[in-house]
Amino acid sequence: MVTLQQYLILSAVLFSIGLLGALTRRHAIIVLVSIEIMLNAANLNFIAFWRFAPHPENLHGVLFTLFSIAVAAAEAAVGLALVIAVYRFNKSPDLEKMNSLHE
Amino acid sequence: MNIAFYLLSALAVTGALLAIRLRNLVHATLCLMFFFISLAGMYVLLMAEFIAAVQILVYVGAVGILILFAIMLTHHITGATRERISSRGWLWGLGAALAVLFTVLLPVLLLSVLPAAPATPDFSPSVRNIGLSLMDPYTITLQVMGLLLTAALIGAVAVASTSVRPQDKPRT
Repeated sequence: MVTLQQYLILSAVLFSIGLLGALTRRHAIIVLVSIEIMLNAANLNFIAFWRFAPHPENLHGVLFTLFSIAVAAAEAAVGLALVIAVYRFNKSPDLEKMNSLHE
Repeated sequence: MNIAFYLLSALAVTGALLAIRLRNLVHATLCLMFFFISLAGMYVLLMAEFIAAVQILVYVGAVGILILFAIMLTHHITGATRERISSRGWLWGLGAALAVLFTVLLPVLLLSVLPAAPATPDFSPSVRNIGLSLMDPYTITLQVMGLLLTAALIGAVAVASTSVRPQDKPRT
């Protein structure tokens, strides 16, 4: 039987991998990918806590995860649109070269 | 169940690591999709089948394809270049990620009050129950989500389609 602890450890490891990618990569799209990984780790935490809770028939964890997935989808759409818009000005997806917000 | 858990977690960790370390962005996105699929399997193990289906539909179907489109719209980044992929202070980033990992893991490893098994062994929420609770206590949240998604998509199109800068316009 898998315990709650194992799910929490897996979720913490996945969150740290996402944080590592967001902090160390230079490419804008990869940073967005890392943020998606972190959001997914948080969702796994929600579902694990919901499953091991005393009253899983309340469905709060499932619905919270559903809304979190919706917010993540909106974030991905806006983030990638911003990356494309900035790429038009800078001609480079490198975050270290994106140091100006105007032309 | 244990074997499935370890298999899926190995797949998830490998997929996430490859997604942030691979030089070729298309390969990285495909690894990210493997990560999403293994998390969907994890949701099935946790008896949240509807969330697993939503994960496949939204992440693998929509977000992954969106990322692939963004990669292909911003060209010459398919990984043939030999330049550095890490940012300048990457060692600090590694240290910060490890620090966060241990800070998050400490209470998990020290607490002994965490339940070892689910309180209700054979429980599976029906989609009907999820829909009913979307209608009764979560109505406002559902409306706000619809508004957020509409605003996000319109905003994304508006941001990404400002194609011609004023001085680039042909003079008439």
